[in-house]
Amino acid sequence: MIKNIFLNLKKYTFLMTQLISRDFKIKYKRSVLGVLWSLLYPLLMMCVMALIFTNVFRFDMEGVNYLVYLMTGLVIWNYFNEATQIGMSSILSNFSLINKVYIPKYIFPLAKCLFVGINFLLSLIPLMLIVIFSGNISEGTKCYINIYYLILPFVFLCVLMFTLGLSYILSTLAVFLRDTIYIYGILLTIWNYFTPLFYSIEILPKWLSTILKFNPLYIYINSIREIIIFSRMPSPLMLIACFISGFVTLLFGIIVFKKNQNKFINYV
Amino acid sequence: MIKIKDVSMKFNLGIEKNNSLKSTIINIISLKNKKKSEDFWALKNITFNIEKGEVVGIIGSNGAGKSTLLKVVSGVMKPTKGSVEVNGVISPMIELGAGFDPELTARENIYLNGAILGYSKKFLEEKFDDIVEFSELKDFLDAPVKNFSSGMTAKLAFSIATVVNPEILIVDEILSVGDIKFQEKSKNKMMSMIKGGTTVLYVSHSLSSIEELCDKVIWIEKGELVKIGKAKDICKNYYEYQLKNN
Repeated sequence: MIKNIFLNLKKYTFLMTQLISRDFKIKYKRSVLGVLWSLLYPLLMMCVMALIFTNVFRFDMEGVNYLVYLMTGLVIWNYFNEATQIGMSSILSNFSLINKVYIPKYIFPLAKCLFVGINFLLSLIPLMLIVIFSGNISEGTKCYINIYYLILPFVFLCVLMFTLGLSYILSTLAVFLRDTIYIYGILLTIWNYFTPLFYSIEILPKWLSTILKFNPLYIYINSIREIIIFSRMPSPLMLIACFISGFVTLLFGIIVFKKNQNKFINYV
Repeated sequence: MIKIKDVSMKFNLGIEKNNSLKSTIINIISLKNKKKSEDFWALKNITFNIEKGEVVGIIGSNGAGKSTLLKVVSGVMKPTKGSVEVNGVISPMIELGAGFDPELTARENIYLNGAILGYSKKFLEEKFDDIVEFSELKDFLDAPVKNFSSGMTAKLAFSIATVVNPEILIVDEILSVGDIKFQEKSKNKMMSMIKGGTTVLYVSHSLSSIEELCDKVIWIEKGELVKIGKAKDICKNYYEYQLKNN
């Protein structure tokens, strides 16, 4: 069965690259700077966020490079936010295709998650610039690129699995119930505030911070912060939690999607 | 080559009203379940076989289920009941240019559409010039497809769809594409495919082109198979039936 999955994936790789490159071309069509925006946009956004959160709303954290703290969270959150939203409507928006040609439907959410993933990888460049140039040695807030960076791809993979799994579930739901799109938009806002992006989990009441520790995004972001800010290896428990939350979500998403995909055509 | 056995396809016409949260909740709360009466069978117990190299026409009134049948054969839809067995590579020409993105140029769309039809990258690169030449759109390669006329779009789509030699070709009323010159060209292209041993499923309202191209005709009406047999006889019966119903 696994062999089949890989053969299938291989067969449709070309289609997937075409779908992704279409998204890229359309996104930057008619803009003067074009693909350069992929780099500029996150960089400028980060500058804005940095200005706001370091000057206006400052959450002081002793001995922590706040700018890096903020940005590591934002990079992951932005990926998750954008990918699940586009992934959610990917089946609906590609319906004219699904209705006319046989294409395995799982490709659409996957292509979207990977497309946003490329943007995510590009946004790591400005993040690395911040890591290198920010911080103060005497305050102990300087971050260093270290050996544990090798673990980062693993964490990113877990984020991808989690995002993809959720996209499969959401895109299935959205086909049957359009309200999903709005409800999820609201849920995302709540989720945003319950993910420690700009504050530390320690400022929360105990009961809340305990619940928050089950937020997969917190687990991913925290692992990445351990590596980037503190140059530490995330605890094995944390890494296992990363993997399990991502893998189980993906598996569940695939099952839900697979069970319902033949009914899509009647509902769109 | 194609084995259709007892295929039925159910649509729920009431579904349209049913995919918002409000109506779902109302439906759950109210005990009346109207769903049953809104079932619509687009295909009912259709059974037939098509051998390799046969050219089969499908006729029937509007809404008889012809396109649904093609979609079931090409795998776009899974039948509610029954089984579909297809051996061979299918090239579906159900709706030309379904995968075109209006914002992209013709060149980009050739790759995108080719990928959607399942061609490999290598194949497309090899055949790129053939596609362009057949489509007669060499001068417009880098213009976005949204600026094309419908005839130009159709020509491009036809050229992409027919560049392969598929084992099974599914054609839904497309030989009326483009100007007369291109119509002739596309007809010749199809004839050469047929001569090459391609199995063809052809839907059309033009009885003359069906009689000209097909050996066998399947006539369906209201989702049911009325008759299957020699092209000439069935077309005659069908023509008389249509006149009588007027």
